[in-house]
Amino acid sequence: MSNEHSITFELNGAPTTVAIQVHENLRDVLRALGMFSVKFGSSDGETGAAAILFDGELASADVILAAQADGHKVTTVESINTERDLHPVQAAFAATGAIQSGYSAGAMILGTLALLEQNPDPTEADIRDMLSGILDRETAYVKPVEAVKRAAAVMRGEATEPFAPLIVQPMTDGTNSIEYDPTSPAPRASQAVPRLIPSRDVPEMAVVGHPEIKVDAVKLAKGNPAFTDDIELRGMLFAKLLTSPHAHANIVDIDDTAALALPGVHAVLHYKNTPRIKYASGGQSWPNPYPYDQVSFDTKVRHVGDRVAVVAAESVAIAEHAVSLIDVTYEVLPAIFDEHQAMLPGAPVIHDETDTTEIFDRDRNLVHQITAERGDVTKALADSSLVFEQTFRVHQVQQCPIEPHISIAWLDADERLVIRTATQVPFHTRRMVAPLLGLEVKDVRVIKPRIGGGFGAKQEMLLEDIVGHLAIATRRPVRLELTREEEFVSSRTRHPQTITYRTAVAPDGMLIAQDMYVLANTGPYGTHGMTVQTVTGLRGLTSYNAPNKRFHCDVVYTNIPVPGAYRGYGAPQAEFALEAHMEDIAAELGMDAIEFKRLNWAKVGSEMDIAPHLGERAVAEGELDEYPKVMSSGIEECVAQGMREVQWHRRDDPSWVQPADRPHIRRGIGFAFCMHGTAIPFLDMGGCSIKINDDGSFNMLVGATDLGTGADTVLGQIAAEVLGVALDDIKVYSSDTDMTPFDTGAYASSTTYISGTAVMKAAEVVRKRLKERAAMLLDVEIPCTIELRNKRAYAADGRSVSLEEIALDSLHTQEQEQIMGTASYVSQDCPPPFAAQFAEIEVDTETGQVTVTKLVMAVDCGVAINPITASGQVEGGMAQALGYAHCEEYDYDESGRMSNSSFGPYKIYRADEMPEMTVFLAQTMEDSGPFGAKAVAEIPKDGVAPAIRNAILNATGVAINEIPFTPERVWNALHTA
Amino acid sequence: MPLVAAYFRPDSLDEALSLLAGPHRIVLGGGTTINSDRQRSDVEVVDLQALGLDSIESSETELRIGATATLADVAGSDQVPDGLRAIARRESPSTLRTLATIGGLIASAHPDSVLLAALLVHGASVDLAGSEAMPLASVLAQGVPSQAIITAVRLDPTGVLCHAATGRTPADVPIVAAVARAGAGGISLALTGVAATPITVDPDDPVGGLAPPGDFRGSSGYRVELAGVLAARALGGLR
Repeated sequence: MSNEHSITFELNGAPTTVAIQVHENLRDVLRALGMFSVKFGSSDGETGAAAILFDGELASADVILAAQADGHKVTTVESINTERDLHPVQAAFAATGAIQSGYSAGAMILGTLALLEQNPDPTEADIRDMLSGILDRETAYVKPVEAVKRAAAVMRGEATEPFAPLIVQPMTDGTNSIEYDPTSPAPRASQAVPRLIPSRDVPEMAVVGHPEIKVDAVKLAKGNPAFTDDIELRGMLFAKLLTSPHAHANIVDIDDTAALALPGVHAVLHYKNTPRIKYASGGQSWPNPYPYDQVSFDTKVRHVGDRVAVVAAESVAIAEHAVSLIDVTYEVLPAIFDEHQAMLPGAPVIHDETDTTEIFDRDRNLVHQITAERGDVTKALADSSLVFEQTFRVHQVQQCPIEPHISIAWLDADERLVIRTATQVPFHTRRMVAPLLGLEVKDVRVIKPRIGGGFGAKQEMLLEDIVGHLAIATRRPVRLELTREEEFVSSRTRHPQTITYRTAVAPDGMLIAQDMYVLANTGPYGTHGMTVQTVTGLRGLTSYNAPNKRFHCDVVYTNIPVPGAYRGYGAPQAEFALEAHMEDIAAELGMDAIEFKRLNWAKVGSEMDIAPHLGERAVAEGELDEYPKVMSSGIEECVAQGMREVQWHRRDDPSWVQPADRPHIRRGIGFAFCMHGTAIPFLDMGGCSIKINDDGSFNMLVGATDLGTGADTVLGQIAAEVLGVALDDIKVYSSDTDMTPFDTGAYASSTTYISGTAVMKAAEVVRKRLKERAAMLLDVEIPCTIELRNKRAYAADGRSVSLEEIALDSLHTQEQEQIMGTASYVSQDCPPPFAAQFAEIEVDTETGQVTVTKLVMAVDCGVAINPITASGQVEGGMAQALGYAHCEEYDYDESGRMSNSSFGPYKIYRADEMPEMTVFLAQTMEDSGPFGAKAVAEIPKDGVAPAIRNAILNATGVAINEIPFTPERVWNALHTA
Repeated sequence: MPLVAAYFRPDSLDEALSLLAGPHRIVLGGGTTINSDRQRSDVEVVDLQALGLDSIESSETELRIGATATLADVAGSDQVPDGLRAIARRESPSTLRTLATIGGLIASAHPDSVLLAALLVHGASVDLAGSEAMPLASVLAQGVPSQAIITAVRLDPTGVLCHAATGRTPADVPIVAAVARAGAGGISLALTGVAATPITVDPDDPVGGLAPPGDFRGSSGYRVELAGVLAARALGGLR
C-alpha cells in the first residue's frame, strides 16, 4: 500500500470507503468522518478514550492503523443515536451520575453494549474488567459501574427504581460527639448511592437537594460534538511545539530555514519573531500575582519540555516534521531540581534576566517568602515543656485530565480573535492573552466548551497565546493539542514541598502553638507559586485552634516541569503533614487520636485567625475589625457515620490486624480530619443573567466554568428552585466571554457558592418581576403574596397564571418588556466544609506492598444542591487523592528528563483495582451559601494520604512521613524501623 | 503513532516473508506496541491479520496458540488452562488485550510480562516461518531471527500453575513477579522484573546470580529481595 490509499469498512452498519494516509490511525480517520465520540487521550491507547468496537470487541482506536481496519466492522456510540431519546445504556449512565465531563463516556457506553451482548448478567468483576481499559480521572468508576449494572437490568427487562440517595438518620445532635458503638450496623446500599444525612435546619425543596440528571447528559452520552476539538473549521492549520531537551540552557540561536521551506508549513514562531512581553501564566484575578517571569518564547529554557518554538502547518505530520528541522543552538547550563539545593550558595540562578522583577531573592532562586503570625510563637514554644517537631515530604504529581490541553484560535468575520479552548478560566485568559498578542481585551473572545477534566491544570493561560500568535501570523484557524507526554512535562503539576511542624501542647492536650515551615518547589516559573503555598499555610494552620500560630514559607525556583494549580491547591500537602503530625502527637501523649484532634479542631464559633493574614488580599492585624468564624460544622456527624461505616473498633482487634491465615499481612484503619475553604473571600466573583422566553422557560447565562463537575446543573437547579420551575426549563449557557457575565472561573471550590449565589440573586430579580406581572394579570394588589411553583404564579386565593402566559403578555401584549435579571456576587465569607476521611488498608510486610481496601468519606458540604453530582465529586476526588498517596510520582533521569511520562509507568488507578468507596453527605445549613450550600469539590483531595499513612501506622507501628507509599518505600521503612 | 511509510497485508506466509526482506520492514501484529511507538519513523509494516494465524488448538499434551491470537482470545478460550487464561486477562487492560497478539508479546520480550513468564514455565517453544522452531527462552534472549515470522507458540498445558507478584497497585504491571509450575517434568519457576526479559530460574536457588536493573519502581537490591519472597510464595502455592 502506498502512502495514500482508500479503505472500505463497515462503520456503524454502513459500508464506508475513505481515502487515508498510510500513517493515519483509526481514531483520527473516525473523527474526520464525524465520529466525535472517539476522543484523544494518549497515542498509546492507555486512556481508552478512543475505544471503539472493532469487530464487536472493545479496542483503542489510537493504536489501530486505519489501514488495519480495511474489511472490518467498526462501531462507535453514534450507532445508537438513532432518535432524540437516549438508548437504555446511555440513559443508565445519565441517570446514575456516571457522566461527569463525559470525555470517555462514549467508550464506556460502547464497552457496556459489548459486554451485555456477551453476558446479559455480568458480575461486578466482569464490569470492572470491561472498564479496565478506560481510564477515568473523575468518577473513581463508582457510578459507571452502577450505570452498567442498571443498564443490564433494564436490558433484561427488569424494573429499576429511580437512582437516589439513601436517607440515613443522624447519629448525633449535629453538634456533640457520641460514643462509638461497634454493634451499630452501617446502612447498606450500593456504594454508588450517597448516604444523605438530613438536617432539620434544611427545608424540603422542589429542585434543590434532588438528584436531577445533568443538563449536559444527553449530548455527552451521545458523544455529540461538544468539546474544543469537535469543530471543523475550513483551512485549519495544525500546530506542534518544539520543546526543550535540556533542563536549563540558553538558546544561542534558532535557524528555522529548513522548517519554513518544508511544503505545507505556514509559520514558525520563536523568540526571534514574537514580542518579548512579560507575563505570569496562572489563571488568577487581576492583577496577577508577581513575578511576571514568562514570555511567549524566551531566549532561555528552564525545564525539559519548556517552549522553544512552534510550527503551524497543513497537517500534524507536516508540523512534526518541520519541528524536527528547526536547528537550535543551546548553551547548556547547570540545573537544579531539589528545593533544598536551590537556595544553596553556588546554585545556578534560574532567572538571571533583568526584565523579571519582584523576585524575592533572585540570587538564591527564592521567588517568594511568605510569613504570617498570630500571637508569639517563639515565646510559646520556648515556654512549653511539650514541643513536637516533625518534617514531611510531599511530591510532584500531575492532574492527568484525560483530555489534554487543546486550543483552537481563528479570526472571525470582524477579524476579532476567537479562542475556543479547554480552560477553567476563560475571562482571566482573555485578559491575560490580549496584551501578549498586541490586542485589546475587546478584540478577543474566549469560548470554553465542554472540557474533559481540568483539576487545576487548566487554571492557566497555557496554549492560548501560542494559537493566538499563529492565527494572527497565518490568518488561518490554528489548532494546538498537547500529546500525553507534553501534558506531563509542558503543562502543570502539583508543587512538591518539605514541611516542618513544631507544635507546643499543654499537658491536657490543648494546642498552645503551631509553627509551620514550608520549603516549596515551584519549578522554573512562579505562576501559582505564591498562592498555592498560601493555601498550604491557611489549611495547615486553620484546622486546629491554637493561640499562637506562625507560617513561614520559602518558595524556590528549580528546573522541574512547572507546578501550578491542582485540585486542593496546597491543602493536600498541608493536610498530609498536619494529620500525620497530630496523629503522632496523640500517640506521644497517650491519647486517642480522634479525641486529641477533637479537642483542638475548629468548631462553630472558632476564629479562622490566620486566614486574613494570608493570600493576595492579606491584611494586617490593625486593619481587621473581626476575624472570620466557623458558622456551621457537621464534623461530629461525619465522624460518627464514618466510624460506624469503617467499623473503627477493628483497628484495636489483634485478630483482625494480623489475620491468622495470612501471616505476612497486617491490616489497619486510619483517620484524617479535613477542613477546607469555600471560595476566596473578597476576590472570587461570579455573574449571572436570566431572561424569560415565550413558553415560560428561561435562558440563563453564567460565566461559571463547568469542568464536568455538574456546575451548570447545580446552578440551573438553584435558578429553578427560585423560579418555581423544573430544571429542564432552565437552559444554561456558560463560559463565553462575549456572551456571558464575568466569572473568575472554576477554582477554589467557588462555583456553587459564589456563582450559585449570583444565580440565586439574578433569579430573585426575575422572580420579583414575574410576581409583579402576575399580580397585574391576576389583579392582585400586593405582588409579594404571589407564589411561584410548578411553572405557575399563584395568588393567595388559589387563582393562578402560567409563566408562559406571563411571558407572552410581557413580550407581546401589554407594557411590553423583557423580563430579565442580572446579578453578581462576591463573598466576604469563606465557610469551611468539614469531612472525616477513613482508610482501611493491608500491608504486605514481606514486600512492602500496601493495598487500600476501603475508603470512607463523610462530608459536611452544607446542603448538597445535587447529592448525586456532589457524591461524584467526592468519589473522584478520593480516587485522585488515592493516586497521590499511593502510586503516582514523577521520575527523572540525571538531566531532568521525565522517565515515566505515559500512563502505566505513571500509574493512575483503573476500574478493576479500586478500593470500595462509601460517601456520606452530612447536611448542615450554611446561612451564607445559596440554599445552605458550601463547597465539596476539593475537600476529598485532603484526607486520603494521611488516613492511609495513619492506617499503615495502625497496621505496622511504622510511621512514614513521605508519599507515595510505594512498595519499596514502605519495605524500607518496615526494615529500618 | 509512528510515521508509517508503507502498509502491506500479505495473503500468505510466503508473501509475508518476501515482503519482510525489504528494508525498514517490520511485522505488525495487533499494533499495540508498534503503533504506540512514537520514536519510530519511516517504517514499513507487514500486517499478518490475513494469514489465519489466530487459531488456538489443544491436545492432551500440547496447546498451540497462533501468533495472531489476541490476549483476549487466550483469556477467553476454553482450550487454555485456567491459570494461563487468568494471567492473559491481567496482562493488558480491556481495550488493548483485544488487539495485542501472542506473537507480538513474544517479539516484544517485555521484561515485566507475567504471561511470558507463564509461557516459560509451561516449556513453550515458538514456531517460526523462515526459521527453525526455537524455545521461547531462546527467542526472548536472542530476539526473533531476522526475516522470520512467529507463527505460533506451543506449550505443555498440563500441570499446576501458581504466581505471586508485587506492584504499586493491585492491577499494576508487577515490579517483580514469580510464576511457578508443577508439571510432569518437575517444578519450574520464572521471574519477571529481574532481567532484560522474563527468565526461568532454579527453583532451589531462585535469586542466585540475579543482578536486576533498578528503576524508580524498585531498586536492584529490592528486586532481588522481592524475587526471593515471591518465588517462595509461588512455589509454596503449588503445595
